[in-house]
Amino acid sequence: MTARLVGRLDTPAAAEVTQEIQPLLDHAGSTIVLDCSEMSYISSSGLRIFLTIRKAASAAGGHVVIQGLSNEIRQVFMMTGFLQLFEIK
Amino acid sequence: MGYGFQAVVTVIVALATLEATTLLQYFSSRKAMREEATRRAEDQLEATNLLICDVLDQVETAVHNNVWPVRKTLSTPDSLWSLTRRIVECNPSVSGSAIALVENYYPKKGRLFSPYAFRDGDRIDTLDLGRESYGYTGKEWFVKPVETGGGYWSEPYYDTGGGEMLMTTYSVPVTDAKGRVAAVLTADVSLDWFTDLVGNIDVYPEAFSALVSRTGKLMVCPAPALVMKKTVQEVAADLADSTAVRDIGLAMLAGEQGSRQVLYNGEKEYVFYAPIDRANWSMAIVIPQKEIYGDIQRVGLLVILLQVLGLLVMSVILYTSVKNQLQFREVAEKKSRIDSELRIAQDIQMSMIPKALQADTDEVDIDMSGIVVPAKEVGGDLYDYFVRDGYLFFCIGDVSGKGVPAALVMSVTRSLFRSVSAHEKSPRKIVSTMNESLADMNENDMFVTFFLGVLDLSDGHLRYCNAGHNAPVRLAARGCGFLEVVPNLPLGVVSGLPYEEQETTFSCGEGLFLYTDGLTEAEDVRHLLFGAERMQEAVRAACGLPAGKLVEAMREAVNAHIKGCEPSDDLTMLAIRYMNPSLSDAWERRVTLREVSEIPRLQRFMQTVSEHAELDHALSLNLNLALEEAVSNVLLYAYPEEADKEVDIKAMVREDRIDFTVSDSGVPFDPTAIPDPDLSADLKDRPVGGLGIYLVKRIMDEVSYCRRGGKNILSMTKKRSYGSTHH
Repeated sequence: MTARLVGRLDTPAAAEVTQEIQPLLDHAGSTIVLDCSEMSYISSSGLRIFLTIRKAASAAGGHVVIQGLSNEIRQVFMMTGFLQLFEIK
Repeated sequence: MGYGFQAVVTVIVALATLEATTLLQYFSSRKAMREEATRRAEDQLEATNLLICDVLDQVETAVHNNVWPVRKTLSTPDSLWSLTRRIVECNPSVSGSAIALVENYYPKKGRLFSPYAFRDGDRIDTLDLGRESYGYTGKEWFVKPVETGGGYWSEPYYDTGGGEMLMTTYSVPVTDAKGRVAAVLTADVSLDWFTDLVGNIDVYPEAFSALVSRTGKLMVCPAPALVMKKTVQEVAADLADSTAVRDIGLAMLAGEQGSRQVLYNGEKEYVFYAPIDRANWSMAIVIPQKEIYGDIQRVGLLVILLQVLGLLVMSVILYTSVKNQLQFREVAEKKSRIDSELRIAQDIQMSMIPKALQADTDEVDIDMSGIVVPAKEVGGDLYDYFVRDGYLFFCIGDVSGKGVPAALVMSVTRSLFRSVSAHEKSPRKIVSTMNESLADMNENDMFVTFFLGVLDLSDGHLRYCNAGHNAPVRLAARGCGFLEVVPNLPLGVVSGLPYEEQETTFSCGEGLFLYTDGLTEAEDVRHLLFGAERMQEAVRAACGLPAGKLVEAMREAVNAHIKGCEPSDDLTMLAIRYMNPSLSDAWERRVTLREVSEIPRLQRFMQTVSEHAELDHALSLNLNLALEEAVSNVLLYAYPEEADKEVDIKAMVREDRIDFTVSDSGVPFDPTAIPDPDLSADLKDRPVGGLGIYLVKRIMDEVSYCRRGGKNILSMTKKRSYGSTHH
């Protein structure tokens, strides 16, 4: 299952997104692809959503793939040690 | 009326004093004149006395000198003729001289023999007085010396058969060798001579003199008919009031000296009299009183009368004029009282204008200058400012209307500004509170246009609220333009009105020019307004000047426009310039957030900062992230759920770095104290929180926290490394 994240995932956006990730969590056992090629910004609240999904997948024996990370966001992932938690394509 | 009465009394007293002085002078003049007359009369009496005595002396001397020659010549009777002739010849005063021999002295010459020489014009004639008809042995001049044996002055007499003239005679007895009286030697003095002497006395033109013999006979007097005919007593008896004249007569006969006032023929006269000792005569000088006092007697009383009349007229004039003046004075006093009260009110009002700024920090310099020019004594314009806790509170306002009512509302407004601002920092809240108070008490439909600003002196951030006032002009190096203002309603119109607050930030040297409509609506003769255009132009021209000079230049500009026309409205100007040396190289922006949903505004904020600082996209994004983490941390956790939240974000771009400050009034919380999350932990142990603050620390070069003035202040610094802006 693929989810596309578009625009800025800042704190208020992350609050909205949190309400909408249930379908993803329902498929935690399979492979979830998070397409970030159109995501321009992410805050720690956004990272928390990634972590939530990652934990659910791990628990359900699923798999999370992140693709299309911009350099800038990759840098954020790196700073927070998230690069090691995800499979980045 | 007390003043008027006093003035009238003063003038009357002055005039009475003048009058009294005149009277005193009049009487003292009279006294001086009387004394002068007395002195003159006495001098004359004495001089005449001396002259008469001198003549009488000469005569007596001549007689006495010839006693011996006569005695020698008794033996040759005919030689006696030449002797008498020589006596007359040698003594000009002597008019005749006789040697009268006692009865039967020379039997050959008959019973009586008396050779007599006398003047007849220039000649000297001789005559024998021994005629029986003349009978000299019975004459006074012969009898008395023989009786007394000494010299004797006879009573004046008209000598018939002898000198044939009015005369007096001095005679001495001459004794022979046996010691018996042989003859009487005489010398006559003509009374004409005395008449000339005494009659020519002219002490005063109308004065006259009299000479009286020892029996009271008038020897010399102005009435020739009386001479030798009447005595002083007889003259006195003829008068209606004789007492005074008779008294004088008695005194004169007694040989006394003195003066007396008498009424003679209905006129007052002064009589001065003195004795002629040698002959037992007395002399008098009579001077009419009018002569003594001359004009002053005549004019004196008239003058006094005129003065009294003048005094009365003056009093009436004075009274009338003082009364008029008093009425005028009353009106003037009333006016001056109102004037002075207005002047006091003006002083009070002017003292409300702040004198100088008392900034509590030396680092920050606020260049401020203001001026109020009331159209009347007091006005409804105000401006005020003060510094509290590092903030400059300032305001300008214009009360509707003019004069005293406006001034009263102005005072209230100013007090409200001071009292509300003392414990409130939000312009919106200050203005709202002031509006409530003013609207509550407003029964006269007065309102106030008002602009309030609160300037953070540490960084130049200005929060302001405009209540219907003219938009101030922003003073900026890049150009002056109107400050953007929301047109809220003026204060005092409606209570419960929401007021909107705005914000901006001043760099060093930037500021505001505030004014009231007295500036833009100043009219020239043709009622052409100064107007916003002209004003803005003038501000631009003066923009670079210090605040004081700027206000002065604006005043000159408006004066040049109205050209001496009377201003119709109060005019107030206030220039504020923010001078913070520490910010001189800093560019800064601010933003205030109240809800999480406003966080996207940070992106625009950061965009502006990045553009100015020319940051690359990655760094801009990172800084945005750091700010968001700091801000969301506050909005989510620093305030209780239902409270009004507020977080201020400020970015200051300096040459070598960018400083960020995030401050809030929430519960004290130090985010830097949170331990870093364990990034190497297993997935299941990975913490959900704590990442935000960690990101801030990773992105920023320096992060510090402090609690100051009831605020959490998180300061963050990002160094600028040119050439490699990538992290």
